[in-house]
Amino acid sequence: MLMCCLLLLPLKVAAQDSASIYTAQLLQPTNDSVRTQAIGRLAALRIPATFPLLMAINDKKLYLLDHKAVTVDSKPTGEGTYRLYSLYPDNRLLTNSSGQPLLLPLSALQTVDIPRADRLQLAGIAPLMNLFSNDAQKRILAYTQLKNAGDSATLPILQAALAKETNADARRTGKDVLYAARLYSATSTATAKAYIDSIGDNWSDNAPVLLRNYAKAGFLNQETAHYAAAKAISLEKRYDSLQRIQNFFSGLSLGSILILIALGLSIVYGLAGIINMAHGEFMMIGAYTTYCTQVFFTHTLGIPQTDLFFLAALPLSFMVAGAMGWILERLVIRHLYAKPLESLLATWGVSLILIQTARLLFGDLTAVKTPQLLSGGWQVSPHLTLPYNRIFIIVLTLLMVVFTYLMLYRSRLGLQIRAVTQNRQMSACLGIETRRVASITFFIGSGLAGLAGCAITLIGNVVPDMGQTYIVDSFLVVVTGGVGKLAGTIFSGLGIGFFTKISESFFQAVYGKVFILVFIMLFMQYKPKGLFPDKGRVAED
Amino acid sequence: MLLNVNNLAVSFGGVHALNLDHFSLRDKELRVIIGPNGAGKSTFLDIICGKTKADKGEVFFNGKSILGKTEVKIAESGIGRKFQKPSVFPGLTVHDNLLLAAKMKKDIFSSLFFKSTPALAERIHSVAAKLSLTNVMYKLAGDLSHGQKQWLEIAIVVLQDPTLMLIDEPAAGMSDEETEKTGALLLELSKAHSIIVIEHDMKFVEQIANELVTVLVRGKRLMEGTFAEVKNDQRVIDCYLGRTNAQLETL
Amino acid sequence: MKTKNNPLYYILFIAIFAILLPAGYLSGLLSVNTISVWGRYFCFAIAALGIDLIWGYTGILSMCQAFFFCLGSYGIAMHLLLKKTVAAGAVLPDFMAWNKIDTLPLFWQPFHSFGWSLALCLLIPALFAFVVGFVLFRSRIKGVYMAIITQALTLAMWLIFLRNETNLGGTNGLTDFNTLLGYNLSSSSVKLALYMISFAVLCAAYFFCYRITNSKFGKVLQAIRDSESRISYAAYKVVDYKLAVFVVAALLAAVGGMLYLPQTGIITPGRMDVKASVEMVMWVALGGRSNLKGAVLGALLVNFLYSICTSLFPDSWLFILGFLFVITVLYFDKGFMGLLETIKQKISAARFKTPQTTH
Repeated sequence: MLMCCLLLLPLKVAAQDSASIYTAQLLQPTNDSVRTQAIGRLAALRIPATFPLLMAINDKKLYLLDHKAVTVDSKPTGEGTYRLYSLYPDNRLLTNSSGQPLLLPLSALQTVDIPRADRLQLAGIAPLMNLFSNDAQKRILAYTQLKNAGDSATLPILQAALAKETNADARRTGKDVLYAARLYSATSTATAKAYIDSIGDNWSDNAPVLLRNYAKAGFLNQETAHYAAAKAISLEKRYDSLQRIQNFFSGLSLGSILILIALGLSIVYGLAGIINMAHGEFMMIGAYTTYCTQVFFTHTLGIPQTDLFFLAALPLSFMVAGAMGWILERLVIRHLYAKPLESLLATWGVSLILIQTARLLFGDLTAVKTPQLLSGGWQVSPHLTLPYNRIFIIVLTLLMVVFTYLMLYRSRLGLQIRAVTQNRQMSACLGIETRRVASITFFIGSGLAGLAGCAITLIGNVVPDMGQTYIVDSFLVVVTGGVGKLAGTIFSGLGIGFFTKISESFFQAVYGKVFILVFIMLFMQYKPKGLFPDKGRVAED
Repeated sequence: MLLNVNNLAVSFGGVHALNLDHFSLRDKELRVIIGPNGAGKSTFLDIICGKTKADKGEVFFNGKSILGKTEVKIAESGIGRKFQKPSVFPGLTVHDNLLLAAKMKKDIFSSLFFKSTPALAERIHSVAAKLSLTNVMYKLAGDLSHGQKQWLEIAIVVLQDPTLMLIDEPAAGMSDEETEKTGALLLELSKAHSIIVIEHDMKFVEQIANELVTVLVRGKRLMEGTFAEVKNDQRVIDCYLGRTNAQLETL
Repeated sequence: MKTKNNPLYYILFIAIFAILLPAGYLSGLLSVNTISVWGRYFCFAIAALGIDLIWGYTGILSMCQAFFFCLGSYGIAMHLLLKKTVAAGAVLPDFMAWNKIDTLPLFWQPFHSFGWSLALCLLIPALFAFVVGFVLFRSRIKGVYMAIITQALTLAMWLIFLRNETNLGGTNGLTDFNTLLGYNLSSSSVKLALYMISFAVLCAAYFFCYRITNSKFGKVLQAIRDSESRISYAAYKVVDYKLAVFVVAALLAAVGGMLYLPQTGIITPGRMDVKASVEMVMWVALGGRSNLKGAVLGALLVNFLYSICTSLFPDSWLFILGFLFVITVLYFDKGFMGLLETIKQKISAARFKTPQTTH
């Protein structure tokens, strides 16, 4: 390869010189025919260094700034100004004296008009030019669509593009094309094997298919074909195991959401014997609180580009949903202690009222913008990206579980809550203000739902009946785990989360759900009181 | 022997609630079981009537093992149970409570096409009269006083006409007069049925314990003997003395 | 329960719905649509009777009655759709053709025959209730657990019916029928006939439930509600009784659904979502649980109220329904019938009081 480069070097220098001449002719043409000819020559030369300039011509984005050729981003920065890039001989972002990107409106630039007929000369090399586009997606597409990458005219351009490549995905795609071209032109078994290994190490999505095709075509000899096939199988295995990790992660994330919702539900049911069908609506309240916080930050405080709103929304959604829960407890729930079926109907009524109120106030569909910090994901390996928002939800759930554990088992309040859970009358006799304990429990339970709602804005829209989506599932979590049992809630939440994701990879989502339900029903044949039932004579009946 | 129990054990979350080496009951015997709270008395009855599953051991009733059978099977084989906390059907009248209990075919279709007979009506009325329920016959069971509920539940058990009656604290919450009447009734019933009674009230125990008294302590059988023997046994006195209990004075 | 049987209720009920309403229509005072709407309410009332049996009397909160209702409706709808398809000379119902299906799915085949359709409309819900009930009751799942599991079941079935590949019409459901046994469904006389049939079936269902609840069987059901353990120590096989009443309730719901379909002309999965199933329970709660009259009255009243509210103030219906739920549960746990009873007692108490004080 070095040899090759050395041989090409004098030639390249000569080409560079003529490119400069044609570029100058193009920008300051003495007449139209000179410009037409210059463009035609540049297109024929196919020198990567001139591609940015030619692309600017092709996209009609060629401007002059102080007699130098520049181009702009496809979109303005927000205040109507554009970032500028120099085009030739080097292609880079222009900066002002303080090192910040130079921002100018279009009116400050001199537009260079190139007639359509001239531009049409570039059509033939458009696929090559796209390899140098500013847009990574365009580059990836260009790499995959590149034809005859192996021929001597295209190969150097591909190499030049790869040398400049900054985006990991694009580089992987490009390398695939490059290696494949080399592989097909390889003449010795050792070289072919080396390129097969390179393709394997490159880890692209396409690699197994590529290798399989090569093996099927039976290029060169049997040995390389077998080698390629074996490599393809080992790659597919590796991808499968990565997919499994991804599934595991999705299950973990779904399980976390269920746990987050079921935590509050379980505490409240355990303490008061209340089936709170409005629990999902407290989640909805939390989500709308987050939405309102965002609107407040962007419109009232006027700070649109900030993640601060989410930071504020977390405690706020807890407080607002908690407060609503507290009010509900005062007005309705208080009269329904230990009447689970009645409470189910009454709280269902409450949920109808809350949903309709939300619909009247906010309309049907709103969404919260994901904080910048949480958009994107952690790329563990090329085929395994763990989204930050999901990681955040898992961490939040973990924190809330710890918080709930500490509250229930390490605090005075928790002791009182557990006492009331076990025997309301006796606790009252011992001087525990059962009503106060109940209100506080309800506050915390609803607050946890609100927090869940805040977290769910990260992965979904905010709609009035969003609570209904999760409520039945989270009730199943409570039932399977055993009512009022922290450990049970965690286990069954994770269990149902994983199970859903696993069954979804076998069946479609809907049938997966039916399957889970059947499984839970059969599970309850064997453990009718959930995973962690109470033991003893009193616990029965 | 009507009832034979060997090496019966059950534990709740590591606590041994019951660990009974042996217990047996003759036909038509009235046995009283006493013991401090948590001695496993009610748990013992729960196991016999199928409410609680035993960890190990064997229970033979009329020569047949009844351990692990359903409540219904056990009830059908002739065991009736009165609970510590009166358990009746509050939404039904006293008459209907008794009607449901009376011995007859109890499958769905017999219930759907049930017609009362004079003999059955007579039987219900005679049992009700024995337990002073005649005046409240058409009152809802939920509206009865605590003592009346106790009697109603006894009446329910009597109407089932079981071979063995398991009676858990029949005198709890009753006046002295009512207690004495209950005692007399149990004595009369023991002529035709075998009965196991759990009781705390020593005066009541003295009244009904014509035969053996079993003392359970912490799940184990402490001793078995006549009331006089039990009353004067130092171990029994100690185990009650160890507690500051209202039962102390009566002993 | 005290069953004071005042014939006045029945006479009033029959006078209004069997004589007054049809007479109103025949004399031109009421439109045929009003008649048809009330006919549909009767279907709901039939399902409500089943809910009262299982929830009011036996104390089992089943949240899948809406699903059984829909099974009945879907069965009849499949029959009507096939009849129409055959009459039009096609092989497949339109929606299947759109879904690019070329042969009629096997489970649609029996619905060519009206007799089979009727039988399956009853058999399938009964079988479903039997299997689900057997599994749940055997493991002694009750109370809240029962409510949540049946609710999840309804949710799962709803999701399945929503799918296109189950060939049940997906989200759009089944609609656009012409004739039933050769009678044109859009003609007024057929609508009146369906109204009268629904009314007759409602009366028959009421009588049937009345007989059940007043037999010893009914007393066992109430005993199960009051104390399940006590009744099993009295040697009643609780599972059998629960299973029987669950199947009967499912059948009543299915019958309601079967009569409902030809009167509305459309069935969608929306009739069986979680909301619909809770609402059905609410009819009974509002009317008065463990009171058959209450169940019928509740179903009729709530639906009547619904039609009034949605036409007058469409946004407020959910508020009204929500408040009704809360207030009923909090203050009138015996429902509307309980309220009537209390008022009557107050009046008679006041009447008795007067002579006593003068004494």
